Amino acid sequence: MYLYDDIDQAMLADRTAEFRAQCARRLAGEINEDQFKPVRLMNGLYLQLHAYMLRIAIPYGTLNSAKLRMLAHVARTYDRGYGHFTTRTNIQLHWIKLRDAPDILDELVTVGLHAIQTSGNCIRNLTADPHAGATADEVDDPRIWAEAVRQWSTFHPEFSFLPRKFKIAVTGAPVDRAAIRIYDIGLRLNRDDTGALSFEVRVGGGLGRTPYLGPVIRHDLPARHLLSYLQAILRVYNRHGRRDNLWKARIKVLVATLGAEEFARQVEEEWDRTDIAAVDLPDTELARIRGLFQPRGFETLPIRSAAFDAARAADADFARFARRNVLAHKVRGYALVNISLKAPGETPGDASSEQMEIVADLAERYSLDEVRVTYEQNLLLPHVKLDDVPAVWAELVRAGVATPNIGLVSDIIACPGLDYCALANARAIPIAQQIALRFAESAFAEDVGELKIKISGCINACGHHHVGHIGILGVDKKGEEFYQLTLGGSGEDDAALGQVLGPALPAERVAPAVDQMVEVYLGQRREGERFIDTFRRTGLEPFKEAVYAAAD
Amino acid sequence: MKALTANRLADGEVVFWNAGAWVERFADAEIFAGEDAAETAQARAAGQATLLVDPYLIDVIDADGGPAPLSYRERLRALGPTNKPDHGKQAVGGADVERLAHAHGSARSTGRVNLIKRK
Repeated sequence: MYLYDDIDQAMLADRTAEFRAQCARRLAGEINEDQFKPVRLMNGLYLQLHAYMLRIAIPYGTLNSAKLRMLAHVARTYDRGYGHFTTRTNIQLHWIKLRDAPDILDELVTVGLHAIQTSGNCIRNLTADPHAGATADEVDDPRIWAEAVRQWSTFHPEFSFLPRKFKIAVTGAPVDRAAIRIYDIGLRLNRDDTGALSFEVRVGGGLGRTPYLGPVIRHDLPARHLLSYLQAILRVYNRHGRRDNLWKARIKVLVATLGAEEFARQVEEEWDRTDIAAVDLPDTELARIRGLFQPRGFETLPIRSAAFDAARAADADFARFARRNVLAHKVRGYALVNISLKAPGETPGDASSEQMEIVADLAERYSLDEVRVTYEQNLLLPHVKLDDVPAVWAELVRAGVATPNIGLVSDIIACPGLDYCALANARAIPIAQQIALRFAESAFAEDVGELKIKISGCINACGHHHVGHIGILGVDKKGEEFYQLTLGGSGEDDAALGQVLGPALPAERVAPAVDQMVEVYLGQRREGERFIDTFRRTGLEPFKEAVYAAAD
Repeated sequence: MKALTANRLADGEVVFWNAGAWVERFADAEIFAGEDAAETAQARAAGQATLLVDPYLIDVIDADGGPAPLSYRERLRALGPTNKPDHGKQAVGGADVERLAHAHGSARSTGRVNLIKRK
């Protein structure tokens, strides 16, 4: 993976020293909260309901064991011994003290971690396919390009005060595991017959109170021109974005207002005017970055592993884990191993310091020192020998993170909600817990099959509710927690925005309603149909009837 | 009835006003019967920028024989997150915590809405 060089480290050290001084000035009363707030936000520090929250960047969701151990250490030393992995593949610590924040940032810097690009109206931390560098279906490792954009966009003076925050996702595979259609910019790499790489560029996706799926504005951007083309997009946005209205300030509104075709025309016009050679990364620098992502240490192994096959035959629990959580690797004899942070009854995306340390040890010992964070709030060991999967599984079971539920009904996305967040209208975590506990029996969950439930505690949609097969949105109805259900959304290749099921439900009726809808699906499904397939065939009506008829 | 709340600057802790001092437990908060005394306290708090962030008044009701914040959000601030009963102010347990946890009354946090509007 990419490791920071002396220039990067010096930049980070300067940054934390500056923040330390600014914290001291605030505590001494030399600057007031209005002056200090933008500064702390640009260092990832938010004030939430119970304490400060520190959001630490995990660029394109890639960690090594040293970084993950540092996160565990910081969570234990300065917080309450746990962290929350987010849909943006960052980690949030919820009990931070302002007076500790400079020390925390200093500790993080020692392993190349920081909170830059985690807040403010800048280009935020990029996300990428969590299977990058391990999956056979990709044409190139998207993290190479994500890292190039990270370097280019960090502290970029022209794009530090955009009309609103700006999020980019990259994938190198035809299967979308990075939700590129719900991003301000979603990039997908293609390779043509001659071996040339290009990007399909989507702009103007996003959720929140006006959700859009991003349209393609360019199908075949030569990959080496990525930075100059991004600059052209951001210049058009910077010029015309609605700075006058917070609710219309995201690029999705501009793209929707102009239309994708006109927006694309303006981008091309801007790009034609650009001195692209001055912006695009030199091939030598791209090659340097590429070199740092070259996987090292793969062994030549047979395609089958006797140890893996024997463990599957001997242990039904391991066999289920292997079916649900273990995926084929591009290198013979290796596998990707999904780690579930969704044990029924636990908080989705939370990991304790002990769990992080166990995963870090496993990464170091069994996964070429790599761990990934997925936008679905799980972790993943990308490079595990099939021979080692039984041993890894045993450790994951010990840590309580081996639930065989990846992509199943209990693998729920949930934002922190009103339990922590100052913006939330309603809680998300207890709803997720109640639903997951109803499907805690693994065989039943597996029979129900793929069903993606996504819960947000407010319309800002950090929990991606619009693109859940079942989406759940917390609303404040005269001060009471109510939940608006949507059906039929998807954030992947079959992307769609969910349709509203009916009037919002009180908290205690949400988990039963999910049960009722699953019953409808089980009764009506045809061979091979997932929940969403059945919904697409039958429409809203049978689900609506099941949920609301029961109440009448 | 009203109470005055804020987050403490140095550590973000939820605090409540009591006779010029700031306390961590809602049970120790000063409850204002009238608007005037509440607003006087708020004005004094507004001058304590090196101690606090965003002081605001919250509505308080009588719940089962004692005061409780009217809004769910404010009760949650006074207790801690519901997914981790051992974290936050609720961790100490006891009768006051139990009473707040079971209080009803669920209007919006007016003090907070005013704060957002002011920004």
